[in-house]
Amino acid sequence: MSTVPDVRGEGSAQSDGGAAGAVTTLPAGAALSGRSAVPARRARRPAGLLLIATVIAALLAVPLVFLLIESSRAGWSTVGSQIFRPLTGTLLWNTVRLTVAVTAACAILGTATAWLVERTDLPGRRVFAVLLVVPLAIPDFVVSFGWSSLFIWVQGFGGAVLVMTLAVYPLVYLPVAASLRAADPGQEEVARSLGAGRVRTFIRITLGQARGAILGGCLLVALVLLAEYGAFEMLGYQTFTTEIFTNLQLPTEVPAACALSLVLVAISLVVLAGESRWRGGGRVARSGPLTQRVMPPLRLGIRAKVLSVACVGVLMALALGLPVGASIYWIVEGGVPSVSDSVSVSMLDAAWHTAAYGVSAAAIDTLVALPVAVLAIRHAGAARHFLERSTYLVLAMPGVVIALALTYFTEQYLDSAGYQTAPLLVLCYAIMFFPLALVGVKAAIARAPASLDEVARSLGQGKLAAFSRVTLRLAAPGLAAAFCLVFLEVVTELTATLILVPTGVQTLATQFWQYQSSLSYGQAAPFALVMIAVAALPSIALGRFFNRSADTRGMER
Amino acid sequence: MRELAVSGLQKAFGPHPVLTGLELDVPAGAFTAILGPSGSGKTTLLRLLAGFEQADAGTITIGGRVVDGPGRYIPPERRKIGYVPQEGALFPHLTVAHNVGFGLLARERRGGRTAELLEAVGLAGLGARYPHQLSGGQQQRVALARALAIRPEVVLLDEPFAALDAHMRASVRSDVQRICEQAGTTAILVTHDQDEALSLADRIAVLRDGKIVQYAPPQELYTRPADAALARFVGDANLLDGQLADPALAGSDGARTVDTIFGALPLAPAQPAEPIPPGNVTVLIRPEQLELIAVPAASPGTGCLSGRVVACEYYGHDAVVRVQPDGGPDGLEVIVRTTGAPRLPAGSPVTVRARGPVIAWTR
Repeated sequence: MSTVPDVRGEGSAQSDGGAAGAVTTLPAGAALSGRSAVPARRARRPAGLLLIATVIAALLAVPLVFLLIESSRAGWSTVGSQIFRPLTGTLLWNTVRLTVAVTAACAILGTATAWLVERTDLPGRRVFAVLLVVPLAIPDFVVSFGWSSLFIWVQGFGGAVLVMTLAVYPLVYLPVAASLRAADPGQEEVARSLGAGRVRTFIRITLGQARGAILGGCLLVALVLLAEYGAFEMLGYQTFTTEIFTNLQLPTEVPAACALSLVLVAISLVVLAGESRWRGGGRVARSGPLTQRVMPPLRLGIRAKVLSVACVGVLMALALGLPVGASIYWIVEGGVPSVSDSVSVSMLDAAWHTAAYGVSAAAIDTLVALPVAVLAIRHAGAARHFLERSTYLVLAMPGVVIALALTYFTEQYLDSAGYQTAPLLVLCYAIMFFPLALVGVKAAIARAPASLDEVARSLGQGKLAAFSRVTLRLAAPGLAAAFCLVFLEVVTELTATLILVPTGVQTLATQFWQYQSSLSYGQAAPFALVMIAVAALPSIALGRFFNRSADTRGMER
Repeated sequence: MRELAVSGLQKAFGPHPVLTGLELDVPAGAFTAILGPSGSGKTTLLRLLAGFEQADAGTITIGGRVVDGPGRYIPPERRKIGYVPQEGALFPHLTVAHNVGFGLLARERRGGRTAELLEAVGLAGLGARYPHQLSGGQQQRVALARALAIRPEVVLLDEPFAALDAHMRASVRSDVQRICEQAGTTAILVTHDQDEALSLADRIAVLRDGKIVQYAPPQELYTRPADAALARFVGDANLLDGQLADPALAGSDGARTVDTIFGALPLAPAQPAEPIPPGNVTVLIRPEQLELIAVPAASPGTGCLSGRVVACEYYGHDAVVRVQPDGGPDGLEVIVRTTGAPRLPAGSPVTVRARGPVIAWTR
């Protein structure tokens, strides 16, 4: 659910291409033989990379293709009649009003907290900078569990808005904080010198600089909301995703599941298109070297200070304290003995499976994203455009839809062999989180200018040797970050896992879900805490990585 | 011996031609500058020489070996070319010593070659530092040592001094020149800074519109530029209208003269045996060929004109005075470089004397 600043990868990539925006890589054959087989000597295309990337793009499109095939098998008229019925209207209204409300709340909350932490002398802002990101590590369904298990009134639309806002606002906070930190303070100073007041400067310049980041964050929030299952199921709030999930359980409801999936994908595409249109001419031109000058923080008055700390403190208590506190409460309430030996055995087993799936999917995604990222960063052109669009397709496919497509595929073509096996589950994760890995890997590759590879080649290193001795080494922290990101997502994934988890196997999320569904809160709570612990470490590492990369960018040049 | 030879080199990016049939021969051991305004294709030429790009047509030969030509392309790692990019591009994750030793085999690295190179560039003892702990000038020296480590046949320097401040630039420049000379390496420097090219290089190739328009030693380029635009590009220039007299009317010593607002000035003997036909010409007078006489003469003699000071720019070591000739057409000014002249207020009457010989091109 969490993609971190897309804005960064793009921006720094621009400056690295240097004079040679065009293609520089040679096909492997020419490099090895020292002789060109091509009679007309023209600028070379990176043929090998393009081939790999095209195969990947094709794989990413597979779930959508299956969804369409399955729909047509069910008969388009049946599917149509499933779409045009009152239920769809209800679901649409539920989904849209929730998306609008939560996205708006997150935009305000995320931007305000980011501004307080990055631009003012808020007391304890270094601690808050870390704490504000931690809710990312708490699965949305655990936040929902914390609230709904303690307070009966947390349910329906209001409950969903409250829970989801607290669970996902860091998706706006994180990119906005990064962009505020990296923004050129000169612009604000110039605005002030031109007679714009503080408020006007904030609205015209500061918000303008953060616009891309705010929009990017809102996009992620909207996509998470469209894909969420667990939290809404607990709150008794009906959306497309929960309805698809229910239909998926019943073999007779295949056309309905397909129909609703198509509508959900269509909504996601609309959201994606809207974001890219709004972002529009949001490219930032930057003159001069990328020196990082630190903006002197705005000094808050004593009253503003107290108020701000109180607000951020309350937010932390609600978003972080309450879910964790509720889990501890239920453990204590159930009596520690109720967390019996059988729980601890199943806990170890579940943790092992969760970790194994997470590591596999993260490794696959990081590796597979590498060629696509190199192509995207170092070889601008039509191919790059095409590939980025194809990852968009995946972004528009919520986990439940991808899982559904893979389920129908195994039923239809593999005679159910492979259904609910570890490889299929890992494949599902890998597809779901590929766009996320790609963002991270692109940012990592952008940190290693192509000119360094060229120097390495002029010093006698072959193409692959230069890449591994220079680019990979420089990109390593970013690649690790991408790996952590995917791992974190897999650990906290519930929807697709419930559908595809191998028979007889439990992950932390599914075991939690099982106990929670049977109202065994005392037994569910330890799993919630372990999930938070497992996910918290990578997310803190991630926060540190993005802080550092913003701080050292100037230095490396 | 010809170390590096380029012939008929062409390169276009999409529909934009960058190099259009470029010819260049660089002798072994020479320090050659490629001078051109930004966007003239300098960097593209360098990238083709290094092998980062492949030519559309033409041939590049290094040390007698064709590295890029019809049906032949040698990748950068097998060209033995030292490359010093803009701003050094040191590997940020490696120490200075590991940067310098990057292109060496493990055996050579242990053999003290790294220390020897650091010594040569005046950075002995800094091997354990990381690039970000060095000043800009030090980074450039490390980049040069790294390029020289592989004992390249040719070193390519891509505007390596552009990012340094003026003070640092001079010392790094002369060090780089000395180090390349000691290493006996052929060096090619790409720059848009004519002072840099004139002061460093043995020969300068001026690049314009994808071709070399003049390839000459610095003095010749400065005193005998191929055309008027070039004259202005390599330094301050007074370009005046003139009338070239018929050779039949030449004086007894055979010297021809050209009529300008300064009167008749002697024309430098034509270097190539191709004399300029008589008629309208453009005359080049460098500012330092003009001399300021503060006390206006009652009637300026030949080679002199009287005028009024328009502005005076003082540089410390010299000053540049812009003078509007009396009775000259509107907007016509001549630039005079003087040493130690007192600052003249605008409007002061002065006399300017030209010291020939001058060169001219048919207009």
